[in-house]
Amino acid sequence: MRTPADRDPAKLFLLAGLLALWCGALFGVIGAWQHVIPGVVDAISFVKSRPLHVSLVVAWIFLGAVGGVYHYLPRLTGVALHAPKLARWHLGIFIGTGLLIIASYLAGRFGGREYWEFPPVLGIPIAVGWLLLVYNFFRTAAKRKGPWPAYLWMWATGIVFFLLTFAEAHLYLLPGFSGNAVRDLTVQWKAYGALTGSWNMLVYGTSMVVMERISGDTRPALSRTAFLLFALGFTNLLFGWAHHIYPVPAASWLRILAYAISMTEWLLLVRMIRAWRGTLDAGLKQRHSLPHRFLFASEVWVFINLGLALLISIPAINLFTHGTHITVAHAMGSTIGINTTILFASVFFIAGGMLTRSARAGFWIFNSSLLLFWLCLVGAGMVKGWLTVTTDMAFQPIMDKAWPFIAGFAVSGIGLFIGLTLLVRHAAKALLSFRTAEIESTSQP
Amino acid sequence: MTAPVFTSRHRRAIFFVLVVLFGVQSAITYTTATTVSDARATYNEAATRGADLYRAFNCTACHQFYGLGGYMGPDLTNVTSAAGKGPDFAKGIILHGTQRMPAPGITPPQADDIVAFLNAVDATGTYPIRHIDLTPWGTYRSMHEDSR
Repeated sequence: MRTPADRDPAKLFLLAGLLALWCGALFGVIGAWQHVIPGVVDAISFVKSRPLHVSLVVAWIFLGAVGGVYHYLPRLTGVALHAPKLARWHLGIFIGTGLLIIASYLAGRFGGREYWEFPPVLGIPIAVGWLLLVYNFFRTAAKRKGPWPAYLWMWATGIVFFLLTFAEAHLYLLPGFSGNAVRDLTVQWKAYGALTGSWNMLVYGTSMVVMERISGDTRPALSRTAFLLFALGFTNLLFGWAHHIYPVPAASWLRILAYAISMTEWLLLVRMIRAWRGTLDAGLKQRHSLPHRFLFASEVWVFINLGLALLISIPAINLFTHGTHITVAHAMGSTIGINTTILFASVFFIAGGMLTRSARAGFWIFNSSLLLFWLCLVGAGMVKGWLTVTTDMAFQPIMDKAWPFIAGFAVSGIGLFIGLTLLVRHAAKALLSFRTAEIESTSQP
Repeated sequence: MTAPVFTSRHRRAIFFVLVVLFGVQSAITYTTATTVSDARATYNEAATRGADLYRAFNCTACHQFYGLGGYMGPDLTNVTSAAGKGPDFAKGIILHGTQRMPAPGITPPQADDIVAFLNAVDATGTYPIRHIDLTPWGTYRSMHEDSR
């Protein structure tokens, strides 16, 4: 007999997200090996495997983050989700559109944009589904008594700005927005830079909620520090995007402004270094808890990636790293190292997964493979960047020099896939055995 | 008891100001901040069709402009003006592919349109930047040049 738990929108979102992650990782492995040995997988070309990988992993981030919002929101507001049925509609629309996007790639129909791309008409149902989330979120959150903690601001900002930047990413379809390559590239990266910032708001808000729920202490999310960090992240979301396009000859003030804004993130890095001892002690004490373990791993990845992001946002360094695999290292470190580990912490917190032998193995294989993967990308990027800027060597001879690093990246990608498989399996089993029937009637603030 | 430095009202005001500034910056980005001085850089009809084809064949999965795009193939910003390359070179590869790039099945008129698009991109500027002239602020001189 079907119970309400079987139709819990949060659980369904998270299960669909885990499936998307696993499939996305599989296409990532295929794409990585096609990068090393062109033609190694004939059944699917690289122009198809790349968007399949990117779109499925992006789908995981959205499904994982939105599933978390649907799960935590009733508990944070003390009332049931305003319209659970609309949340299920949202999921249905998102999955249906996702299947159409996959079918369109397989049929050779692309959006041709960098990097979350699909035939633009399929953006309409995604936006419609998202509007259901906007309605549900604000109707439910409005019922909360008292000031909003920082994570509700982060979610609200992420939800609204996703819609704005998603619309902006499609402006190229209008006359006047793609009349020259400088405008086309600038608007494209403005939109996608801020869109990434939007999903980061959703994921970092989730991280704050998980920490609050574990500790039971509601004060940090209402503190001045939490709001300062939110303001910093939000300012970077709005104005920091042009660090992606330093070499593009758009107005120079845009790029200088982005440089100045990006450098404010040194404050975050300094704060992390100062708090490092406490973070380490807490991490070691709570290492037997899966959510803690993943939150601790996400802190390490934030530190590593923030350091890299700050360095490559300095134009003098960016001159050498732009357009190289170092940018990929940053993207992978952020989406896998930070976003995925936070979302795993959230899934394991919701479903209560135990630290079994396979979960422990998955955790270590995942993190150690990701570190090797990241280092290989940085190595390949250093070779490509240095030789591109300081010599007149052609593209292919440069890539031949970087080949050992690219091969290392593809090999470690297999390790990453194995680690993810173990974790996805463990998380899916925990979610399937988790019953949430009581949520809607007994939610507590 | 002293009042907190930032009340909820202050926070809302700061948030609102940031959003307004974002709106202003977006409007400028869509217009004057991204104009091109060289008339050849503005897409004509052939270049517009070429841009559509570039997207339809998902060329960005492997190629870049100004270092933005995929990593399998070379950056194409100046492929039609680079020494030893040029429009005919580009057209040949678009039609027939290479050892690492399978022929994508593009017709000769379509290849002409893509070359027109590549010519328009080429007229916007130069990439990669090889004349390294750094400033004490961590920038490089050409980043400050602005023809607008």
